[in-house]
Formats: sequence, structure tokens, C-alpha cells
Amino acid sequence: MEVKLEKRYPLDVDAARAWQVLRDVKATAGCMPGAEITEQVDDTHYKGTVKVKVGPANAAFGGDIEVKALDEATRTLQLLGKGSERGGSTASMDLTATVEPGETPTTSVLVGTAAVVVNGKFAQFGGRMMVQVSDMLLAQFADNFRAAAAALPAPEGVPAGAEAAPAPPPAREINALAILWGLIKNWLAGLFGKRPAA
Amino acid sequence: MNAPTDPKLLERSAALQGLGDSRLRKEDARFIQGKGNYVDDIKLPGMLHMDIVRSPLAHARIKKIDKTEALKVPGVVAVLTAEDLKPLKLHWMPTLAGDVAAVLADGKVHFQMQEVAVVIAEDRYAAADGVEAVQVEYEELPVVIDPFEALKPDAPVLREDLAGKTEGAHGKRDHHNHIFTWEAGDKAAADAAFASAPVTVKERIFYPRVHPCPLETCGCVASFDPVRGELTTYLTSQAPHVVRTVVSLLSGIPESKVRIVSPDIGGGFGNKVGVYPGYVCAIVASIVLGRPVKWIEDRTENISTTAFARDYHMDGELAATPDGKILGLRVDVIADHGAFDACADPTKYPAGLFHICSGSYDIPAAWCRVKGVYTNKAPGGVAYRCSFRVTEAVYIIERMVDILADKLGMDKAEIRAKNFIRKEQFPYKSAFGFEYDSGDYHTALKKVLDAVDYKGLRAEQAAKRADPNCPTLMGIGLVTFTEVVGAGPSKMCDILGVGMFDSCEIRIHPTGSAIARMGTITQGQGHQTTYAQIIATELGIPSEVIQVEEGDTSTAPYGLGTYGSRSTPVAGAAIALAARKIHAKARKIAAHLLEVGEDDLDWEIDRFKVKGDDSRFKTMKDIAWASYNSPPPGLEPGLEAVHYYDPPNFTYPFGIYLCVVDIDRGTGETKVRRFYALDDCGTRINPMIIEGQIHGGLTEGFAVAMGQQMPFDAQGNLLGNTLMDYFLPTAVETPKWETDHTVTPSPHHPIGAKGVAESPHVGSIPTFTAAVVDAFAHLGVKHMTMPHTAYRVWQQLKASGVAL
Repeated sequence: MEVKLEKRYPLDVDAARAWQVLRDVKATAGCMPGAEITEQVDDTHYKGTVKVKVGPANAAFGGDIEVKALDEATRTLQLLGKGSERGGSTASMDLTATVEPGETPTTSVLVGTAAVVVNGKFAQFGGRMMVQVSDMLLAQFADNFRAAAAALPAPEGVPAGAEAAPAPPPAREINALAILWGLIKNWLAGLFGKRPAA
Repeated sequence: MNAPTDPKLLERSAALQGLGDSRLRKEDARFIQGKGNYVDDIKLPGMLHMDIVRSPLAHARIKKIDKTEALKVPGVVAVLTAEDLKPLKLHWMPTLAGDVAAVLADGKVHFQMQEVAVVIAEDRYAAADGVEAVQVEYEELPVVIDPFEALKPDAPVLREDLAGKTEGAHGKRDHHNHIFTWEAGDKAAADAAFASAPVTVKERIFYPRVHPCPLETCGCVASFDPVRGELTTYLTSQAPHVVRTVVSLLSGIPESKVRIVSPDIGGGFGNKVGVYPGYVCAIVASIVLGRPVKWIEDRTENISTTAFARDYHMDGELAATPDGKILGLRVDVIADHGAFDACADPTKYPAGLFHICSGSYDIPAAWCRVKGVYTNKAPGGVAYRCSFRVTEAVYIIERMVDILADKLGMDKAEIRAKNFIRKEQFPYKSAFGFEYDSGDYHTALKKVLDAVDYKGLRAEQAAKRADPNCPTLMGIGLVTFTEVVGAGPSKMCDILGVGMFDSCEIRIHPTGSAIARMGTITQGQGHQTTYAQIIATELGIPSEVIQVEEGDTSTAPYGLGTYGSRSTPVAGAAIALAARKIHAKARKIAAHLLEVGEDDLDWEIDRFKVKGDDSRFKTMKDIAWASYNSPPPGLEPGLEAVHYYDPPNFTYPFGIYLCVVDIDRGTGETKVRRFYALDDCGTRINPMIIEGQIHGGLTEGFAVAMGQQMPFDAQGNLLGNTLMDYFLPTAVETPKWETDHTVTPSPHHPIGAKGVAESPHVGSIPTFTAAVVDAFAHLGVKHMTMPHTAYRVWQQLKASGVAL
């Protein structure tokens, strides 16, 4: 099952700080709910894990991340992640993420395009929800990312943005039931004509 | 045997509960009390449990399998991979179709959830934990799901093990993903008919992949006794004797030391014909470990890996006169067989009996071709509640006749009546070479049309079509099908070289009760009930005291098993003929006891009596006793017989089905208003069981036509392998069924019976499609692909501009 995602998340943080987070693979991975870099193999290769909890069942994806390109000029990161889970699933993500300047010097936009391929049980059981689940995960990621960037010291001459709230500690695992609840809330909101929260 | 009219005779006849009696099913007493004995009920001392490591990917190279962690899991006894099976030459196994299939993936996986390794443990939980701990490294390969893509010149090579093999089990292979090309009929004659025909129609009809999905999944308990060198395996098999032969050939254990037992089977429908990797691994594990090993599939494994059905892409063509007389038929099929050719067909017929596709019609020229193709999907292609590929054949011809009728503006009943093989043409030789044994299609069609007031229905439909505000579309589906069942004559049909006969052994005990042992195996058909009825009528022994035993290869005579509606046509005949051998001996004994000549005796229901003297007789019970203590001089004692029946021909049951649907123009929901099924299965053994069979088959047909699907995504993930997705109708969804019958006995069958269990499945599926499409016929719609779910039908409503 393949899902192509294209997302733009406006950030109330300047582009320089946002890039500082993005270029640090460990920090970026830390913004992903449930994800963690466990080992740096060399300059461009890492090992990591993603933990998912569905009720009493736990799934741990373990895999490799390769930084394929890191372009300071365009503030673009390209990486390829591949992993598998013991219960019989595999997943891969080909991601290109760019920090673009915002409309004002204190804002920026995180732009991401990704091709996510999931195989095995996760595709079979969860395939039909993949777009919605990805939307929610990425929205959480963007929140965490913004918080991480805002927590960095503001560069000289740039007034601090809305960094009042300290970064919440990223969730250590994805809780599928919580995601499900979020999906239901969004669906209900859509049903009654409100704009979805995410 | 003429039916008696004398009340006393009637009473004696009724007491036997023989042919035609709706006696209650003997099996049900144990089933409804939860006292059945299924494979998973079997628990042997010291028994281990097996679970399977399966591939999450549909096509990948295996770079490494690491079992270290798995072996550390408490309770895990062993982990087997293809490397472990190699020394035994059991990492691949032959299939029934002349191909080979991987037992455990040998360097490469070919479909999602393919078996990669097995874990054997002290309990089921430890086995599952062990499976999770086996580490497999894969390298992904491009996946081919579409058989048309598979045949492109640059398509990925799926079966590297067949590299350079240009000759398959059924002739030349012209592409690396090509399995076979098989043809029947006369192409030149068919082409000539098309060249000169005033009217032709052509349509691609896809019969999607479905799964038989029996309530009980597949499984086995293998138990090797290292001291005696004997292997006993309890196994969910529709063909235990064939499995014994295969196991003996694969393992090298003499067939006399292999015992296969099929205990109670919770539905087969073709899913339990083949030999699966799980069985082989459990048997190997038991031999290696010297302990019994149990393997039971879960539901997801069952739907994903063991024997699917159908997946035929059929290009159908009819040539006809302007007034609707069919002149020619051509069908060209691309058949998706998945990763290994594991179809269960008679050896010489890689597309089964698909060439019954000229149906109930007198078509002078016909030709068909089937091309089998490998894809990255699970292997199978079994006869799901049908004789081999007959479901596909009936579907294509019935769809094409409808399409022709619509093109000519003819009524769908009229075009059928016009083309039917007429009663006086039987035995009828079809353009494909089948010899249809008997039939009376016109009488049956008239009976159905009268019963449902067909003219009234068409008038109602016309009125509704004329009313733009009508909230529903009304469709009438009519199907007039002929099956070919009872495989089969051994000159044509064999499996692995064994002719497709079947067998029966009857033994009458001294006190007049009897046991019959059969080469078939019931999976819900009620053999223990109906077989006894045949003997009761033949020998005058009450059904109640006749035990029927099947499924244990150490006691039953060799038979080819139960599938393809072959039990009644083949084994039913073996019973009647074994009984007649006993009957002949009984006559000798009766003549001796009554001190008259054999010719002076008349048979009457349950006794031989001296002609013209009702007071001098010997009942079969008397004869049974005498056979054990005072047989005539020169005649051996005892009263028993064995018969192996090799049928001279197939049997050809037929049916006329009519379905009325109302489609909601707002939601696309299809409501089955009426379903009328008339079946002719020749002599009827137990009308109640027949009705039950028909209800079951219609319900399965409804499931296939209206909801079952096995969708694959581009990566080869099967997105529908749980019962959350895969549609099994319950009483809530199932329409009301109306059944009817005519009786046209088979002239070549000892009791005239033809077989029935599969007709309702084969016949109903095209009937549902015909009804749904007929609802759109006035809008120019020729065909719609199954399943006809509300969403798909709604899409057609939108496309046709009639959605509300």
C-alpha cells in the first residue's frame, strides 16, 4: 500500500531555527511520535525505532535511515527510511522536507513530500485508514517540530516568536487508540460542518 | 423398482427410509450438541504446536533468516526453514497441476504471507512468540499483480526456478510468466461461423478472485511413531486417499504405513483438496522430533494462502442470426494462477471442464482457449463449490447470451428457449465433445416462467422504466445452466495418474445391520444419511441400522474423495453396484433356504418371495443370518461386497434460476425481491438434504455475487483477508429462497442420480449479475463486474445518470 503525502505546515518560528532542527536528523526524528534514533552508523546512516501501541499489543518497527541529501542553500533534507516489524509488516518512507521562508521574518513554512509504502499486516488491517492516520501523525510531528525549533535561542536581530510554551516532551510511542479517537473526533466535526481540527 | 400402492407394502417401504425419503440428517445429533470431532479437537499425548513465519512482502529475495532469538523463546523446540528441508528434498513439492510449489520459501518469496519458516513449540503461545522472534531480511523485488502485465516482454521474472524451461506440464511455455495454453473445440469452424454471421457480440467478462472460506480452516495433527515406523495424520482433507499417496511418495514411507484420517470436516468447498505446506512441515516435524505436531490455520492465513478460486479474465464472443439463433461461440481466457500452478483439476485438464461453456445451448461451432499466468499472488484456482471451472464457464455463456439478447432487442427467456438443446436431441454431443446425458430444458423453463408470472414481471419493469420518478430500478435475471459433474471416466480423468473412480465396501452383519465404507468424505453433505438410503432401497435394510464410515484410509477402500459434485454420481453408483452384488448373493441364499430356483423368486422391498405365494419369503434379515451359518453348498459364507465404480460418462444436472431485484437509485442498495431456483439433479435421494444443499449454495452464490472480494494493492498486499472485510452472509443479509424441481434421471447412472450440491452456487452467481445488469439494460449497460456492492452499483447509477 502506497500513500503519497504533500504537506505544508506554517510555523511561527523563523526559517533559520526551523532549519537547525530539520538538519539534525536525531532532533527531527525525535519530533515524530514514537520514533527514536538509536544509533548513528556514519555521517549519513542511522538506525532507529518506531513504537506503536494498539490496546495491549505493541509493535516496534526497527530500521535504517539514510540521509540522501542535505542542502544548506535551499534548506532541504532528503531521507529514506526503511523498517520492519516482528509481527509481519514492513514500511518505508522516501521523504523530502524543506524549510521555506514565511511571509514575515519570524515565520517559516515546513514543506514535506513523502511516499510511504506499508506492507504486511499493517497494510491489510490499517490500509484504509492510512491517509487519515498519516495526517494526524504529521500534524503531531509539526507541533513537536515547531516546539523544538521555538525552544532554540532566537538568532540575533530576530524578535522571539511565540515560543512561550516550552516544547512538550514528544510521546514515546504512538498510541493507536488515541489516534482512533482523534479520527472519530475529526470525522464527527466534519459531519456537523465544522472544520476538522487537524 | 415400481412404487408400491398397497398400504402394507407402502408401510414396509417407508420403514426402510430409502430413496426419496426426507429422513433427518444422522450427523446433526452430534453437531448440534457440540459433539463433533474436528481436527482441532484432536489432542494427543506429548503433542507439539506449529506456527508459521510468513512473508509481509509479495515478491522479495530472502537475504538472511536468523532463528537464534526464536530458539531462545521458552517452549520453542525447533525452527525449520527451507535449508532444513533441503536434505530431505522437501523444500519444494509437486502440485496437482504438474508444477512445483515451495514448501518453505527457497531464497525468494512469491506472494504475500508465503510460508518462510515454521516454529514448533510446547504450546500454541510459545509457537506464536517464536514466530515473532525469527528475523528475516528481505530485498524487495518488483511486484506483478495483473496477469496482463505479467505477460509483457519486460515483466519481472517470477519463477526463477523455471529458468530456461520452455516446456511445461501442458505444453510449450512462450514467456517466463506463462504456465500453459490449453484449447478445446474447433477454431476453424468457429472462425468460419463468425466470418459469415450477420450479428456478433463481444465482451470482456472478469470473474474476480474469491475464496471458499469454509467455517473450519485447514489444519492437521501429524503423529509419527518412531518405533513402528508408522505415520498417522489427522487432516482436513476432501481427498484423504490421494493425500496418503502423495505423503507416501514424498516421505518414502510405504503407503501401508501411512494412515490419513479426515474426521468431521467443517466445510471444504474446494479449499481442502490440495496438500499445503503446513501439512508437509507438520509431518516432517513429527518425523524429526518423534512427537505429534498440530498445525491449525487462523482465518487470515486461510483466506490469504490456502486455495482461492476463479480469477478468470474472459473474452466472450457469440455469432448469431438476426432472429437470435446462435451460430458460434469463442472464448479466450487469461487465467491468473498466482505464484505456483496449484489448481486442483483432473491431470489432463489444466482449465478443468471449462469447455462446458457452450452451456444448455445447441451451438454448432465453438472454440475456447485458456492461458495460465503466474503472478505474485497466492496459488490455488480450485473448484469452489463447483465442478472444475464450471462456474466460470456458466458465467461467461449466460452473460454472453444476455448481451446478445439485449443487442437484438429480444426477450431473455425467448432467446434461451430458441437455442436450447431439445429433449429429443439427448444424448447430445456438444461442439466441445461432451456427451450430455439427459435433459428437458423447455419444460423446466416453462415451469419457472409460469411460477413467477414472468410476463407480469416484465410488464411491471416496463411500467417502472417509463416512470422517471420511480425510486428504484427493477432487474430480472434469468439463467438456464447445465453443469458437468461426477469426474470422472478414468479414460479422461485422473489425479496424479490415479483414475477418478470411487469405491464402496458393504458388509452385512449376521443380525441384519450393515456397515458401508466409502472412498469419499463428507464435509456437510450428509453422506452418513443419504448413502444409507441408497443401500436401504437396494437391499431392504432400514437406513437406521446402516453405518456409513468414511475418511480413514486404513479402513475405507481407495477413493478420490469429495469435490466437484462427484460423491453421488461416482460413489453413489459404487454403493448401488456393491449393494447389487450382495443382492445377487442374497438371492442365491434365499433360493437355497426356500428350496426353489433363483428364477422362482421375486424381490419385494425387503424380501425375496416365491412367485405367486406371499406366505413363502425370506427377508434380508433372515438371509443375513443364514449367510453366516447355513450358506448354500459351494457358496462362501458372509455377505459383503466391494465395488470400484469407473463412470462411463459425466452427469449433467441443470437448473433454471430467476431473480428479481430492486435497486435503490439513491443508495445503490440492491434488494433481492425474489429468487426462484428450479433444479434437476435426476433421481432425488433425500429431498430435505437437497433443499438444504440448494439453500447453502444459493447463499454462497449470493455472497460471491454481492460482496466477496480479494482486492490487492500495487505492492501485493491482500486488503481483505479477515471476516471484517470478507463477506460471509448471515441470516440477516440472506434473501428468501424459493426452490422447485423437475426430475430427468441420468440414463447411465445405476440409480439415475446426477449430483446437486454445486448447482445452486454455479447457477445463482450469474443470475444475480444478470438481474443487476438487467436493471440497467435499458440504459445501454451490457455488463457490470462483481461484486455488486452498493457502492459499485451507485457508481453505475451515477455513470448512467439515474442516481437520485
